[in-house]
Amino acid sequence: MQLDFEHRHAAHCENGVVRNLLNFYGIQLSEPMILGLGSGIFFSHMPFYKLHGMPLTSFRPFPGTIFNRVTKTLGIDIQWHKFKDPDKAMQKLDEILFKGIPVGLRVGVYNLSYFPQEYRFHFNAHNLCVIGKEEDEYIISDPIGMNKHRISSADLKKVRYAWGTSPPKGRMYYIKSLKDYRPLDEKMIDKATLKTCSDMLHIPFPMFGAQGVAYLGRRMRKWEDMYGKRGAALNLAQVIRMLEEIGTGGAGFRFMYAAFLQEASEMLNRPLWNQLSMELSETGDMWRDFSYHGARFFKNREGKIQSYDDLATKLQIISDRETDIFTRLEKSIKRG
Amino acid sequence: MKVNEVPQDNAFLQSDNQIGLRDRYYALDEDGKFQEVPSVGWKPKNAAIQFAWNNRAEEAEKVRQQVITGKYSPLAYHMERLLMTSSILSQYTGLSRYKITKYCKPRHFIKMKPEDLSRLAAALNISVEELTTID
Repeated sequence: MQLDFEHRHAAHCENGVVRNLLNFYGIQLSEPMILGLGSGIFFSHMPFYKLHGMPLTSFRPFPGTIFNRVTKTLGIDIQWHKFKDPDKAMQKLDEILFKGIPVGLRVGVYNLSYFPQEYRFHFNAHNLCVIGKEEDEYIISDPIGMNKHRISSADLKKVRYAWGTSPPKGRMYYIKSLKDYRPLDEKMIDKATLKTCSDMLHIPFPMFGAQGVAYLGRRMRKWEDMYGKRGAALNLAQVIRMLEEIGTGGAGFRFMYAAFLQEASEMLNRPLWNQLSMELSETGDMWRDFSYHGARFFKNREGKIQSYDDLATKLQIISDRETDIFTRLEKSIKRG
Repeated sequence: MKVNEVPQDNAFLQSDNQIGLRDRYYALDEDGKFQEVPSVGWKPKNAAIQFAWNNRAEEAEKVRQQVITGKYSPLAYHMERLLMTSSILSQYTGLSRYKITKYCKPRHFIKMKPEDLSRLAAALNISVEELTTID
């Protein structure tokens, strides 16, 4: 059994699943629009929340948030499940699937068989969509792959019950009904954008939002004292991996969000947003510049002396630029 | 980033992989419009990944030497090599962290029950024979 589901490649797994799911129900939105509506751009650096024993740096909100926000905004009724018992989780998946409903799953990538070995670490916030089952194999649409794929039910069970930081515990989600569906309008975009600005600007802790970037910079200056030379480089490697990991669309969503601003600017006829889009795209380039210079730390470990201060200064500049961009974006809506 | 600047530095994505994993960038074309461009990777990212794994391999080699000198058991080596910590492995297997730490010592490792051994091997995705050797 396979649903008539159009698989499309996407830059970010969760956006991709949401877009493909909505598309299945005849709602056509672009990936940047999903990111915008879901307020999917974010930044946090949390020294107290660890992944692989290192502070977690994240460029996205908590997994599942984008799906929840987008569907809530559009008035779509959804359902989430999580299970203690893996067998029940698989049963429920079959039950929903055979009703003809594509199901989104949150999985860990550590045991995901089609990922290259180098990408398989304890990262538990990957999303994919199950769209069919033939004998003992599930047909899945993983948005970061160009094609559909198959995965055995034993393997799928394994990745649904991955462990480590924030385990998925068999979480699954699907669209229940469209009876209160409202088509996309200006108000929704404004509201979602205000939410984004609020997340990026007004969380009163230093580790979140645009100011979090500067916070990461300040922490980075201390890394060599705290972790030693190698430890510091490993931390930097983790930041760059999160920044450019498959599924961020490069440079931590900046380009994708810029694409959203451009699309919205055309839709709502707001030239200012296109300008902000270009500026945000430039900060994306600055993030890439950061990664590019950061990567030197891995190559000549013993050679030329470079300092984390230089990198930290780059982050400080990015933080200021992003604060400025999102402040102006927020004002442009509030002033109307 | 411009469309023609989208990096295509492949390092890890196998081209024969049927699913075709790709990155996807939103890059600007000549008219200042965003276009979607698939990408196979970027050097700095690949360097970061490679660095993390090289480091891991070096750490694992250190542990391997200590297995040879009798300080640790092969389990400790395989955990280090396969990015496992005692807490995550305990979640996968249902064995307590205390037990897993204990099994990292040779004298407890040799006394391990066969079912514990196979549970650990299954969670690490290796065979029992592999788990008991360090080659």
